[in-house]
Amino acid sequence: MSQILHILKYKIISFAKTSFTFKANEIFKHAGGGIIYIAFAYGSFEFTRQLVNYLLTQLRIGMFLLHEFISIILFIFFITVNIGNIIVSYSTLYKSQEVIYLFTKPINPAKIFLIKFFDNFFYSSSTFLFIVLAVMAGYAVHFQLNLLTTSALVLLNFFPFMFSAASLGVIILLIVIKIASKYGLKKVLITIGASYVVVLFVFFKLTSPVNMANEVMKYYPHIDRYFGELIPLAIKYIPSNWLSESMYWISQGDVNSALPYFIYQVSLSIVLLSIAALLGHKWYFQTWLMSLKIQTKIREERKNRIKFFIFEKVSRFRSKTEAMLKKDFHLFIREPNQVIHLAVLLFMISIFLASISGLTLLGRGNFYLKSTIFLIVFLFNALLISTLSLRFVFPLISLEGLTFWKVKTAPITNKKILRIKLLPPFLIILFISQMLSIFSNRKFPAELVLLACVLSIFVAIAMIFLNFGMGGFFAVYKEKKPIRISSSQGASIAFLLNLIYMVFLIAVLFFPMSKYFEARFYNTHFSYIQFLMPVSAIVIISLIIAAIFYRIALYSLKRDF
Amino acid sequence: MLKLENLTKKFGHYTAVNNINLEINSGDLFGFLGPNGAGKTTTIKMIVGLYSPTAGTIYFDCNDVSDDPVNIKRHFGYVPDQPYIYDKLTGKEFLYFSGGLYDLPKNVIKDRIDELVDLMKIGDWLNKRTEEYSQGMKQRITFASAFLHNPKMLVIDEPMIGLDPQSAHIVKQVLQKKAREGMAIFMSTHSLNVAEEICTRVGIINKSQMIFDDTIDVLHNMKKEMERNFEELFIELTQD
Repeated sequence: MSQILHILKYKIISFAKTSFTFKANEIFKHAGGGIIYIAFAYGSFEFTRQLVNYLLTQLRIGMFLLHEFISIILFIFFITVNIGNIIVSYSTLYKSQEVIYLFTKPINPAKIFLIKFFDNFFYSSSTFLFIVLAVMAGYAVHFQLNLLTTSALVLLNFFPFMFSAASLGVIILLIVIKIASKYGLKKVLITIGASYVVVLFVFFKLTSPVNMANEVMKYYPHIDRYFGELIPLAIKYIPSNWLSESMYWISQGDVNSALPYFIYQVSLSIVLLSIAALLGHKWYFQTWLMSLKIQTKIREERKNRIKFFIFEKVSRFRSKTEAMLKKDFHLFIREPNQVIHLAVLLFMISIFLASISGLTLLGRGNFYLKSTIFLIVFLFNALLISTLSLRFVFPLISLEGLTFWKVKTAPITNKKILRIKLLPPFLIILFISQMLSIFSNRKFPAELVLLACVLSIFVAIAMIFLNFGMGGFFAVYKEKKPIRISSSQGASIAFLLNLIYMVFLIAVLFFPMSKYFEARFYNTHFSYIQFLMPVSAIVIISLIIAAIFYRIALYSLKRDF
Repeated sequence: MLKLENLTKKFGHYTAVNNINLEINSGDLFGFLGPNGAGKTTTIKMIVGLYSPTAGTIYFDCNDVSDDPVNIKRHFGYVPDQPYIYDKLTGKEFLYFSGGLYDLPKNVIKDRIDELVDLMKIGDWLNKRTEEYSQGMKQRITFASAFLHNPKMLVIDEPMIGLDPQSAHIVKQVLQKKAREGMAIFMSTHSLNVAEEICTRVGIINKSQMIFDDTIDVLHNMKKEMERNFEELFIELTQD
């Protein structure tokens, strides 16, 4: 244990030293970051409080339905942390130089495993934790929960929930490497990927929010009571449900009914953490050696790969454009983390589209609810665009890495570098944003689909440029792992700015959208001129954001390298 | 060809390079020597455009580099002290990428690669990803990428770091050949032997200021007069 503490102590010292240098611009950067964090924490807190209040008192969806929606969000959260942890853990447990260094020292590999596990967990989940804590605080204040109950909910239910997701991730990783050495990495990854697809498909099949809402609404106005019989049996055994169930009972003041879920949650996290530690103790060094063999095998198999968009072939692009595009394309497809993460995100988007296809039914006879649903769908689309931009656009400049000297000493302008780097992700994300707008809104009137499509163009422009500029400003050329770049401090600040922009979108659209649905409900005239101002505001602000962050990206390339 | 005039670089209050004046001509193989932290890499990074000077001017063929940096970069080849290259690309892909940045047509790149494969002895490794390369092999690929567009001026930062004797021998021979062909070479090095063996001119920087700049013959004469070897002379010139 003393060895673990010793290493952790120096990791903390090294982190603190690299993070705090007393230079004016660094202090400004950190202070700015701190202010945004605090502002965002307060914003999340207030937003949650108002949203819960709105859903319960204005829309009257009832306590049970509210917590079922929370359960679905928590499940997505669980899967995200779980998959994220598998990807990050592979890099940090099997490919990091630090691990190689530690292996040469008289340290038990199990200790290295634990150090890296906690390092991963806190590093990649810190922003998530921060946001969730602010949201939890908003929830607690709304239901007037006392400090002790809230702390218990966070420490004894939410934290174990997160630990379970992370531990399960690392257990799956160890098993994958162990099996992959026998059956080949490709087969195992395809099997694991397919399993996740099945799990998600079954989950959304079982917990259709539309069906659940329709069932609960049959009992209107008595919708606050516990509809436990509506929860499918399989869902009752998953941690996201335990957390939402305990939140439901605590908010009802019935701590005794919540207690079993606390016990389940803590027990599961202890069991999974113990299994992870045990497997780490037994298999970590063994699987580390196996991973080297797997990597060698992958290298040998490379020769047989299909050649596409290769450097030797002449194309229609100009030399510099072609060189940069081909380089970025090959670096992307040869980095498993990038490809897997993109596949996972696209899959999540498909799930999202499939699960909300029937949402307009909910709004039957209630124009407030309809406008809220439209705005929530719009917000979710924006959130997905923001996630894609943060994950794939933010790291673009950093991923040039220390090899950037080659481009920076070549006869190519900074503007051209930026344009070529930004163009492919820009077009792809723009295309996805249009698909999202069309398919997620297809049950709304055509004019709203059109409006969503037009707005999403500008939302995509603003978010792509915002993340690109922030990625340049906070460029970390020494970091090779894209996921670590997109979960760095700079990325957290970028994400917070994305969220502030999203709040602006909703604030601007809420009033005209309510008027629109009200006019449709009462069959009165609605002047589309009412959309002119908010749409113009969104267009102008989005273009200003894009221009500002493009300048920031350009400035970042002018800095000494 | 290359002229540094009152070149200065400050990082906050720290002056890394102080008022350097220097001129390198076609065919010169200029050895830039100095102890650690003297300002060698900073000077080089300013020449190739990775750092912007705090004061002073860099001229190339009588043109101020800052007036048209992009065009002037066409005439420069650069080899950094650490041969960082995209590790997921093969050596050949990296060379095609480098050629593309200099607007070289595909057939020219192909011919140049064929020449450089022989020159740098990189044929066996060309189709492997650079993540599998040794430091020396990465260095050779970096050299090849710097020669690819046939620059007028080559700027090299510590070319011998991490090279095995075979690689070092190849690099030295190639540099001498290129200088004979008229290329101007600006090379910083810690290796006094290398400087003595291949350089035609030597400059010494100490504590951010130039303290010596002359031909290798002048240096040899100084050695004789002072009855010291190159190492002793260097230590005496750069001591506190």
